[in-house]
Amino acid sequence: MSWKIGVDIGGTFIDFCALEQKTQRLVTLKVLTTPDDPGRELLAGIDRLAEREGIAPEAVDTFVHGTTVGINTVIQRKGARLAMITNRGFEDVVELARLRLPDMYSLFCSQPDPLISRDMIFGISGRMLADGGEGAPIDLSELPAIVEAARAKGAEGFVVALLHSYVAPAHERAVRSELRRLAPDLFAFASCDVWPVIREYERSVTTILNGYVHPRVARYVDGLEAALATRKVPARPLLTKSNGGLMNAAEGKTACVNMLLSGTASGVIGAAYLARQAGIKNVLTLDIGGTSADLALIIDGEPQFGTGEPVGEFPLYIPSVSVSSIGIGGGSIAQVDEFGVLKVGPQSAGSVPGPACYGRGGQDATITDAMAVLGHIGQLPMAYGQLTVDRERANAAVGLLAQRLGKSLEDTAESILRIAVSEMFVEVEKLVSRHGVDLADFTLMPFGGGGPMLGCFLAKEIGVSRIVAPRRPGVVSALGGLVADLKGDFIRTVLCPCDDEALAGLRGHLHDLTAEGEAWLRDGQGFEGSIRTVLSADMRYAGQSFEIEVALERDWIVRGDIAAIRRAYHHRHLSVYDFDDPAGAIEVVNLRLVAIGEGDRVSFAAVPQIPNVPEPALSVEIHLDGAARPVPLYRREALDAGACFSGPAIVAQEDTTLAIPFGFAAHVDGFLNIHLEVQEPTE
Amino acid sequence: MIDVVTLQVLANHSRAASENMARTLFRTAHSAFVKETQDFTVMLLDPAGRTFAVPLDLGATWYPGLTYDRAIAMVEDYRPGDVAFTNDPYSGYLATHAPDTHLWKPIFHAGKIIAYAAGHIHNTDMGGAVPASLSRSLTEIYQEGLRFAPMKLLRDGVFDDQILSIMATNVRKPDLNIGDIKALVGALNTGERKVLAMVEKFGLAAFEDGLKGLLDYAEAQARSVLSDIPDGRYVFSDYADEDSIEGNPCRLHLTLTIDKDEAVLDFTGSDPQLASSLNVPTGGDPRHTLLLVGVYYVLSTLKPGILLNQGLTRPFTCIAPEGTVLNPQFPAAVGMRSLTCARLRSVIFGAFSQAVPERMPAAPAGNNCIVNVMTTDERRKRTIIAAVNPVVGGGGAMPHRDGTNGSGADAAYLKNTPIEITEAETPIQFVRYGLKPDSGGAGRWRGGLATEMAFKVFAPDSRITARNRDRSLFRPWGVLGGRAAGLSDMVVNPGEPHERRLGNTDIAVLQPGDVLSIHSAGGGGRGDPYDREPWRVALDVARGYIGEQAARDDYGVVIRNGLVDEAASQALRAQRAGGRTTAHFHFGPERDSFEQSWTMDAYEALTQILMALPVHWRFFVKTEIFAARRQGGGAAMPVGEAFEIIRRRFPQIPPITAPASSAR
Repeated sequence: MSWKIGVDIGGTFIDFCALEQKTQRLVTLKVLTTPDDPGRELLAGIDRLAEREGIAPEAVDTFVHGTTVGINTVIQRKGARLAMITNRGFEDVVELARLRLPDMYSLFCSQPDPLISRDMIFGISGRMLADGGEGAPIDLSELPAIVEAARAKGAEGFVVALLHSYVAPAHERAVRSELRRLAPDLFAFASCDVWPVIREYERSVTTILNGYVHPRVARYVDGLEAALATRKVPARPLLTKSNGGLMNAAEGKTACVNMLLSGTASGVIGAAYLARQAGIKNVLTLDIGGTSADLALIIDGEPQFGTGEPVGEFPLYIPSVSVSSIGIGGGSIAQVDEFGVLKVGPQSAGSVPGPACYGRGGQDATITDAMAVLGHIGQLPMAYGQLTVDRERANAAVGLLAQRLGKSLEDTAESILRIAVSEMFVEVEKLVSRHGVDLADFTLMPFGGGGPMLGCFLAKEIGVSRIVAPRRPGVVSALGGLVADLKGDFIRTVLCPCDDEALAGLRGHLHDLTAEGEAWLRDGQGFEGSIRTVLSADMRYAGQSFEIEVALERDWIVRGDIAAIRRAYHHRHLSVYDFDDPAGAIEVVNLRLVAIGEGDRVSFAAVPQIPNVPEPALSVEIHLDGAARPVPLYRREALDAGACFSGPAIVAQEDTTLAIPFGFAAHVDGFLNIHLEVQEPTE
Repeated sequence: MIDVVTLQVLANHSRAASENMARTLFRTAHSAFVKETQDFTVMLLDPAGRTFAVPLDLGATWYPGLTYDRAIAMVEDYRPGDVAFTNDPYSGYLATHAPDTHLWKPIFHAGKIIAYAAGHIHNTDMGGAVPASLSRSLTEIYQEGLRFAPMKLLRDGVFDDQILSIMATNVRKPDLNIGDIKALVGALNTGERKVLAMVEKFGLAAFEDGLKGLLDYAEAQARSVLSDIPDGRYVFSDYADEDSIEGNPCRLHLTLTIDKDEAVLDFTGSDPQLASSLNVPTGGDPRHTLLLVGVYYVLSTLKPGILLNQGLTRPFTCIAPEGTVLNPQFPAAVGMRSLTCARLRSVIFGAFSQAVPERMPAAPAGNNCIVNVMTTDERRKRTIIAAVNPVVGGGGAMPHRDGTNGSGADAAYLKNTPIEITEAETPIQFVRYGLKPDSGGAGRWRGGLATEMAFKVFAPDSRITARNRDRSLFRPWGVLGGRAAGLSDMVVNPGEPHERRLGNTDIAVLQPGDVLSIHSAGGGGRGDPYDREPWRVALDVARGYIGEQAARDDYGVVIRNGLVDEAASQALRAQRAGGRTTAHFHFGPERDSFEQSWTMDAYEALTQILMALPVHWRFFVKTEIFAARRQGGGAAMPVGEAFEIIRRRFPQIPPITAPASSAR
């Protein structure tokens, strides 16, 4: 027996997902997080898996961990005190950022407080040029004074970001080496090592984020390794990355920036896996937690990737699974404004004090309270008995709003639900228009604690007629880690016209990128299997100020088929922007390579589907579409493959509740997913 | 009356629809103006042409209160699939300079127009005298490019090829224009689809009620904001540096009257219309959106999250007399109205600052300068024209924090271009891009710092334009004891023996090796600088935001070796001569000196004379009176006397209705 364990830390719970491949036994577990002592819940979980499920720690051969320690460090502003070295005359680049500010109608709009105080940013002489030449030599003799000043101000480490280091890294490397000599006790990251791509602000802020979270992440990973050692877990831990892949713990301690968005990324990877298993190609994922809803598109089985995804108040410019977040979650607070208009979110009661109905001190009416008032939740104990729903408290909180609105309690609760759903609608519409897709081709996959609760209502609002509710919606992220591969991204800014003259250069870069990718997998990750690489380029028409990523075949560069590369770009431009310019000059800005070391395929056999009409566990009264109605409540564990029923209904399970309104037909597939489909109205 | 819950849901759907339109346009447009500068808007209009929904996160900030009614009425016989357009500032006062092209599409349901999808793009060029169609030097709208009165651009979904052909023949970048216009038509189609989906979902009656409800809701919010502002009259003036090239200052004057939940913005006393392109075409519409841009900012600041639509404008009435810079007569040039609009906003901010001083910031830098470079790429042997970074400057100090550095307030929608990208594409080399020390107005809260950009060119006769530069003569003002900010400037070869200061000029011609340095103004300060905690002052010094000298002179804080010398600082602060200022504003020496000669009364006299003259005489006479008073010793010469001298020199000046002798 050998076990793989995936662990994902969320705001309220830490989720475990354990898999025994041969027997296909899958075990899940939720443990309340202990923010003060992040290692402890991990051990608690391992111990509980051993006690309850008989999973011996010694039998764990793969341990994949997704952690929020990095992103929380940024959000809570608890990162390292950093000093930065940049070109003299450009010390304010980080503060100016890209100028455009959010909330642009307000005269009070402002940049977020920077992660490095301006007095910790030091200019140095020396200048590299866009063509890779040296405009002015670097003067390393300026460094001792800088190190001394930085030390005096309590610097824990350095970030080095110099102009044009993506093409001419010599100055940055020289500074970094000299820093290590002068101050071996302080860490130093150079932007050309972290992510060597053109655009100075983007490269700098990515490097800063890396340095900012480095000490805490490294300490955390050390603690993780130590904790696993105390339980004699033989597996060397792997960490999930923002790109949806994995890296080993040793790398995680320095390439910290790669894990900042790993939690949301793993969710999408897990969802893509479940969708593939259920035979669904196009999916809109909806992951709702206590404070926010995360939305992502899976198109043709593939998660979408982007750069510039937000980490707290800062954009992160490494390839990341593209996820849109909106401040609507189970704990979002409903309020009536001075004009009598009902608003929901973005303020949230979070997990503490939480929704009023959890009885943990929350007083404000939240979406969860509205669902409790309506009777969708609270019929059975939740969260493995760790939470109970007190409907009286929900009624009291929602009742205050009902008085102000002059509506009944139930109407008010339905109104909260309607408004929450319409807030999510705005975000879905943005996502859809950004990608230029038609939701008619998509299936909604709700997960997280709140996704199944609100999923059907959102589906109706956005006109999606199919929903798939995974069997274990609480551990999709943890599962995502289990099914992910080792995956590294590599990039070279080439910035050249896309013509025959560029070929020699492209071949050289391709060779270097391939060697880098292989070295990362073989030497860095100790990977021995077969390596897969995916090649792409960021390209644009000359004169454009933004690029689109185009998948390339290695052969095109090797054989020198520039025409094929150009064709691929025109085609991609047409599909993304609805037009192309076949006569237009094209530039290649970056060449990218993804190196993938595939792990063992995780697969499950489908259970035979035997058509059956399930027996409800209870009949409960819920309020739906303006009236009280008796509806069947099913226990999720009692729904077998092949079960068919229709809404309205409630499916309750330990970690969530699936609310099914009128007009949906449900059937359970061989992997125990519940598929819902809008029924054609019968004439 | 629509149910409030449905109203909020409809508000969300409307916003989603407009943001969907914006994304469609953003995604499919061709020009950098749309893709980078985001100089575009999209909106949904009710059947009367009133904006009821705009996107919050994409595009420009100027048009949430726009009404298309006049332009809509100038086109007849709308049918499904039609799209109408105009770029003529004088046909319906919808477009406000020729590059801005507005399109609108009627949305039909059961044979009836139930809404319009609409929007504008800023075309890179519309033909005319100069590339990009914009220059201060132009004097007539005819020089500012091709104009189309409102007419159908598409019929039954098909483009009118003759119109496209006329445009393609007359503009410098036809592909960009037509590509962007097609993208905007795509966005309008998206809007139509989304509106029809809303009708499907909510029902026609609820949708129609909903539009009324949304406008009423915004109106109610605006009225509630006004109700919280003390009733009264608040008078304020601000000046653009020049009314034409090498010209005199241009005054904008506002009397803001708040009466319970309504406000009147009377711009009487603003300068006559100009013989340059700095005029703002409003047609005297009491709720013209350009007159109210400052108001949108004030409302959004006083009530965060306020619903942005035309309903907001209802409690406001603007008065802009005909023949003035804010209501020019045809065919006055209007291309560079952006510069004047920046002053228009600061006049409004200044008036509201007096009304609710505790809730308004000091003046923002107020110069949304756009820099373009035309030079030769020696290696590739070709001419390069490129937009470099905007140089905008910081926000004014807020009631609760320092002004945002280098951006903020009413300039926050502009983006910059990475230095590395510019240097890779354009043969210039940056020497500096950053914040200018000591440029933020001193105060209990410091104004945001100015942006400073300097670059070197390598080819002869490299031509740099820096449009919309202002605030090189009149500083962004401070409030409540806070000081005015640093001025903007443009300097060739700063610090070198052959340094050239260019002041308010917006064009520089450079030779190989020349460095051009452009810096904006800063944001004004707020509150007495002596009340700023010494530790903040020390931090500003450590961060290089202010120098030790300024710490001592402006803040009364002595810094030694990076630390506050408490005793010396206390002593310094205690011995300040003159005590605290009680003036609401601090304008700086330049405006104080100007207003010694041009007192409120003198300017009032000037305005009276000019307004009594026929429009085509006004700018001429203003210029002559300024010259006469300069020669005659400034304050020593009454305006009326100056006018008499001029009248003797130019007996052709027609008699004026009000006796000039009444003017002092």
